[in-house]
Amino acid sequence: MAAELGVPPNRTPAEIDIGDATGRIGSAIEAKWLGRLGFDTQLGPFYLGLWGVVAFVSAGLFTFIWLMTMLAQVSYNPIAFLKYFAVLQLDPPSPAYGLGFAPLDKGGWWLVATFFLTISILAWLIRIWERARALGLKPYLAYGFTGAIALYLVIYIIRPIIMGDWSEAPGHGIKALLDWDNNTSVRYGNFYYNPFHMLSIFFLLGSTLLFSMHGATIWALEKFGAHEEEAEIIAPGTGTERAQLFWRWTMGFNANAYSIHLWAFWFAWLCGVTGAIGVLLSGTLVSDWFQWAIDARINYPQAPPVPVELPLP
Amino acid sequence: MSAPGKGRGMAIDLSFTVLEGARETRVPGGRTMEEIEADFRKPGNTTFTSVFGTDPFDFWVGPFYVGVWGFIGSIATVIGALFYFNETIFKGPYSLPQNFFAGRIDPPPAEVGLALQKAGEVGFAWQMTVLFATIAFFSWMMREIDICKKLDMGFHVPISFGVVFSSWLTLQVIRPILLGQWHEGFVIGVMPHLDWVSNFGYRYNNFLYNPFHALGISLIFFATFLLACHGSAILSAAQTRDPSPERINQFWTDIQYYSIGEAGIHRAGALAAAIGILVSNLCILFSGWPVQDWVAFWGFWNDLPFWRGF
Repeated sequence: MAAELGVPPNRTPAEIDIGDATGRIGSAIEAKWLGRLGFDTQLGPFYLGLWGVVAFVSAGLFTFIWLMTMLAQVSYNPIAFLKYFAVLQLDPPSPAYGLGFAPLDKGGWWLVATFFLTISILAWLIRIWERARALGLKPYLAYGFTGAIALYLVIYIIRPIIMGDWSEAPGHGIKALLDWDNNTSVRYGNFYYNPFHMLSIFFLLGSTLLFSMHGATIWALEKFGAHEEEAEIIAPGTGTERAQLFWRWTMGFNANAYSIHLWAFWFAWLCGVTGAIGVLLSGTLVSDWFQWAIDARINYPQAPPVPVELPLP
Repeated sequence: MSAPGKGRGMAIDLSFTVLEGARETRVPGGRTMEEIEADFRKPGNTTFTSVFGTDPFDFWVGPFYVGVWGFIGSIATVIGALFYFNETIFKGPYSLPQNFFAGRIDPPPAEVGLALQKAGEVGFAWQMTVLFATIAFFSWMMREIDICKKLDMGFHVPISFGVVFSSWLTLQVIRPILLGQWHEGFVIGVMPHLDWVSNFGYRYNNFLYNPFHALGISLIFFATFLLACHGSAILSAAQTRDPSPERINQFWTDIQYYSIGEAGIHRAGALAAAIGILVSNLCILFSGWPVQDWVAFWGFWNDLPFWRGF
């Protein structure tokens, strides 16, 4: 199947191939059991390339620094490491260090780790861009990835720089992420009143709804070939016609085999971008979203509800 | 497509084959909606014709299919909307446009328990809005089943809608009944329901430590991530000179070793979305009963026998 395409048509000269003549590593493996789930059965081959090496090496360095600093916190005891894995964390430097470089054990490792994490993410962006161009595709996946990257950069790099110290960024660790989330919301007057948080949630749940609708529609019409979307976009057949009629009869409006993917792309991309705007404004331009919502005339605080006595212990 | 992998005692086979002649129906550029509708707008084959042999509402209004469930659903929608707009907008505390945000419908007070309120009592409008919304949601699901039957589709869309309907039932019906009071249902209204969600999270100390909340959010983010991947892949494919699934498959195997395929991605997306919502139901259902504090909940972790001393 896929491997027969051979040498990519639009090879980009900047890329350095690693592996065989097409730059790929390994050969295709058939995993028949995947076919029983209706999934494709071919695994690999894999393309590494220069940017793949950069992405994997820097992601590996980030992971190594992160895990080793957490391991040091439990005196390299593996059982304690497993027990406390979810609450161990690699914290950024305290506010006293501002944007300067802190000693390694006082947040310096966070700076080094975050540097490699950022390099890894950006290298992955270049990698998926280059691969798309090399295969003669428009790099829409890379465009889409910019939505998530915007949110990452705002949280870890841009907003801390604007605020003047790295402690504004989350620590690396499971509990650290949850606590940063909660504390950032509470500190700026509850993120539920942040209109960009509202939009981001709208696009997050909206994306889930869209994929539920689109995925289920196509799943229900596999026997009519509706899943062969490249062909159905050019020449809609009975599968696409039924899909369109289903939504037209249900809600009076339908997309088509092409436009549903425009909806999909923009909903998912905007989830990250609106979230990035919401975080960027917090503490920089808006210090209290609760008060902001009152001033914007969308929030009308009322007496809190009467406390509840639960019937069960 | 991939051949069904029979044999070796595997009972589960969810693979599929495309019907003979389905691909031959493809028309370059597609047919007009008038041509398509002429082929498919046929009477019969609804839930009611299957059971009772007749469906008195088996017709269309404009683009909408009606059917018995459409008829019931429209009535429930109108009555529910009247209760909603009357209570939030017209009887709200501020001017009409302000009431769009500020208006609220509170559930009955705790001492009412699971009793039904009379007109004029606090919570009557809430009970009526929830009742008619529930009827409307259920009818919507059944009407989707009617439309699926007419179009000879699988019931994947109504099942997916049933999943989100189960969230509504969990929040407004099942959990309030388990806790013995309608008061546990959420406040209806644009901003008040945000307050309710926020208060609900902190009432159980910190909802971010609720493992079902964490898993639900992760799956919902995963569905959004998959949607970005799928949407961008098809946009890329549609804009090449030679749109073929092989090119996209090769792109995915190149960058991430595996391409799930054009059928598989729709299954994976619908499943990620549905399972995310079902797990989220649990995070609501378990709050208040049996868990009162999602931070203290993790106490069991430190007491597990194999690492208690560490």
